Amino acid sequence: MVMPSSDWVELNFGPQHPSMHGVLRLKAKLDGEIVKEIEPVIGYLHRNAEKICEMTYFNDNLIYFDRMDYVGAMNMEVGYLEAAEKLLDISISERVKWIRVIMAELSRIAAHLVWAGAYGLDLGMLTPFFHCFIEREKILTIFTEVSGSRQEVNYMCVGGVYQDITEKAINEIEDFVREFPKRLKDIFNMLMKNDIFLSRTKGIGILDKETAISYGVTGPMLRASGVEYDVRKAEPYLVYDQVNFDIPVSYKGDNLARVLVRFEEMRQSLKIVEQAVKKIPDGPYFNPKAKKSLMIRMRGEGDVYARTESSKGEFGVYIVGDGGVKPYRVRVRSPTLRNLSVLPELAKDVMIADMIAISGTLDLVFGEIDR
Amino acid sequence: MIEVKEPKKKIPVVGLISGMLTVSKYIFKKPVTVQYPEQKPELPDRFRFRIFLKLDDCVGCTLCEQVCPNHSINMQKVDRENPRNKRKIYPDVNFGTCTVCRNCQEICPTEAIYLDKEFETARTRNSFTYSPEELALKENEVIK
Amino acid sequence: MNILLRLQELFSPLGHLASYILAYIFESLFLVIFVTISLIVMIYVFRKYMARVQQRIGPNRVGKFGLLQLIADALKLVGKENILPKNRDDLPYKLAPAMVFVSLVLAFTILPYGDFFYLGSFTVTHSEVTIILLFGIIAIMPIGEVLAGISSANKYALLGALRAVAKDVSFEIPMMLSVLAIVMMASARTPSSLSLESIISSEFLPYGILEPIGLFVFFISMVARASYTPFDLGESDSELVSGHSTEYSGMRFGMFYMGMFGSIFLGSLIVSILYLGGPSGPLESSLGFIWLIIKAAILVLISFTVWLSMPRIRIDKFINFGWKYLIPIAMINLILAGIITLGWGL
Ligand code: SF4
Ligand code: SF4
Repeated sequence: MVMPSSDWVELNFGPQHPSMHGVLRLKAKLDGEIVKEIEPVIGYLHRNAEKICEMTYFNDNLIYFDRMDYVGAMNMEVGYLEAAEKLLDISISERVKWIRVIMAELSRIAAHLVWAGAYGLDLGMLTPFFHCFIEREKILTIFTEVSGSRQEVNYMCVGGVYQDITEKAINEIEDFVREFPKRLKDIFNMLMKNDIFLSRTKGIGILDKETAISYGVTGPMLRASGVEYDVRKAEPYLVYDQVNFDIPVSYKGDNLARVLVRFEEMRQSLKIVEQAVKKIPDGPYFNPKAKKSLMIRMRGEGDVYARTESSKGEFGVYIVGDGGVKPYRVRVRSPTLRNLSVLPELAKDVMIADMIAISGTLDLVFGEIDR
Repeated sequence: MIEVKEPKKKIPVVGLISGMLTVSKYIFKKPVTVQYPEQKPELPDRFRFRIFLKLDDCVGCTLCEQVCPNHSINMQKVDRENPRNKRKIYPDVNFGTCTVCRNCQEICPTEAIYLDKEFETARTRNSFTYSPEELALKENEVIK
Repeated sequence: MNILLRLQELFSPLGHLASYILAYIFESLFLVIFVTISLIVMIYVFRKYMARVQQRIGPNRVGKFGLLQLIADALKLVGKENILPKNRDDLPYKLAPAMVFVSLVLAFTILPYGDFFYLGSFTVTHSEVTIILLFGIIAIMPIGEVLAGISSANKYALLGALRAVAKDVSFEIPMMLSVLAIVMMASARTPSSLSLESIISSEFLPYGILEPIGLFVFFISMVARASYTPFDLGESDSELVSGHSTEYSGMRFGMFYMGMFGSIFLGSLIVSILYLGGPSGPLESSLGFIWLIIKAAILVLISFTVWLSMPRIRIDKFINFGWKYLIPIAMINLILAGIITLGWGL
């Protein structure tokens, strides 16, 4: 028997719901266990970051970018600096580029680890979460070693990085590169060997290529739908054209494909870090043109748009400068917002459990969606 | 470009059991937890949290106030003899909003304001603002 | 000689009736204490086990090694304010947790524990049809969960209750079918094949070895009964907040919580009694109880590992699994049991 739509039960998931990463609210219309319609409501973590960026100096804005994708902060900094350095016309040395690549990739691993653990929790697995976070903690220790903070690192700055990478940090990174694959394999096995896990992900939430492109989905989600697009390859920034890595793709487009693509991405990131640590050249870690005392005197004019590949997808930053010491306008293209917008399309006529499983694979981080 | 492979099809229960073994294997490993108050974690060299101020070095240039992204720093009048600081203004720091971005330390021309490893700043007072004199004190000397 | 008779002997100066009544009361008390203590130990072990598997330490603050943590938690639950939803259906709302807990304790009165040195058996109820009694009482527990879900006027709870009903219907049939196989096999050797005690005493090999399929089906049903992770459909904390117990707080919630752990323990005990020979083992005479507990403890650890390593199955997949796989398997098991019984009878 088909229920008329007036008999659908309306149910709110979130903003305080155990599996709504952060503060997502989903208004779902249910027909029994079947989700008929779903409407994401965002804005519970709105902090006005774009507007605040207009009121602080170019260099100070970094801390607001740290807080966008707070699980992978280094990637956000790279994204902002790509734009800001173009606007301010400040070049960076080779060494800085390599340091940034290492940090961005470590940060990508850290972000994917959070996702993997949380996805396990979404499906009801308690254990992988902790193993993911134990590994993530090692990355955060490396971040503390180089920058002084764990999560909101504020490590990079216009013209370079605040502090040079130390020998000790490089040793720690090498240790991590050596030991991580073992644990990654265990985490991977915990999920992938499990038939129930496979039955929850295989063939669920299929996102086809056309829908993905028309919604502007990027990142691992897009690659899982069979589009071979990654900014790191398509438009290399920093030194991504000098390292050897592959972009994982899958043509299935279901939950499992997204999970596998993310796990493969972690392995590839590790490969990048491994190469980068060996290749890192000597040189200054800071462009003297942007030296410390000039931090509040850098002026920029014109507008630039720069895009980078964050752990969630294509992260774009648009900055307009009017010749002052503060940006005139900062605009962020958040990948997660586009990825979220496809959820009503994916979670149509699925069961509640699948809806949760699908929204888990979107890898939502609300700092970035609401900004 | 590499295509990721789906795991191969297996006999049903075998995968479940090997997953269970992977999980239970870790029971023999050492826990990673640090028992915090008794056992302090080994902090990385560059870890910084609490802000300190050398009152004698501060020249009252207000650069730190300008550069602080959250306006955590405000200049305060302090009645204190310091030939280098004619205006007698010194920064205070509101730790409630400070994000430990270290910009103030970077920009200070005399390195009067700096961050250090101390991080146990829990207090019962209903304000996280450290006055300039308090910033000069060690954490355990500050009245909480 | 069991505890009941010993107690009765102790009270015998009071006359026949009074001494029996007192003996029953005291033994029931004894049992409630036993159940509570074993639950506390179990929850402690679970938390420690979970912590170690996740490379944490687990409770270690209250008392030595955190042994008193559970008592502290229980006190906290008791001391908590009971928040009652406004539109609740009052009587069922308040009855439901008690129903779950009381039926759990009742189920413990029936199990044959075997002897324990001088004390003898803990069993309170002695009857010829304990197997029917036992499964009758076990069937009460889901009703409590369903009542809780329906009466608390919450959509999450309602969905949880609906899931719980669907789940219970689909696993109880294979469960009973596999029990039937045991009764059938026992009936060839003992006249009172509905009594757990005679089922155990009449076996020459544990039934788990004779019919591993039955063991498998029954163990899965027991996992589903206790509703922990692969089958915690009624609760499913990442989907329905916490399902039927969403609106409960304080000790009422504690009863559901204990009900769940109690079900794990009960399930392990029943599996070890029916399939693994229960209290029998080497040095049988006075160690029956210890053997039973050891067997149950191993099963409990296996259950915990299952809990910690599996994701939640989807409700329709579980119903499919129940009706399309478990029931046919249980049927095959029944046929195999029939063949074995015939061979045995010859
Ligand atoms: S560390 Fe950053 S936020 Fe804190 S007072 Fe200094 S400039 Fe302000
Ligand atoms: S602390 Fe440093 S930057 Fe701040 S007012 Fe004093 S001298 Fe200037």
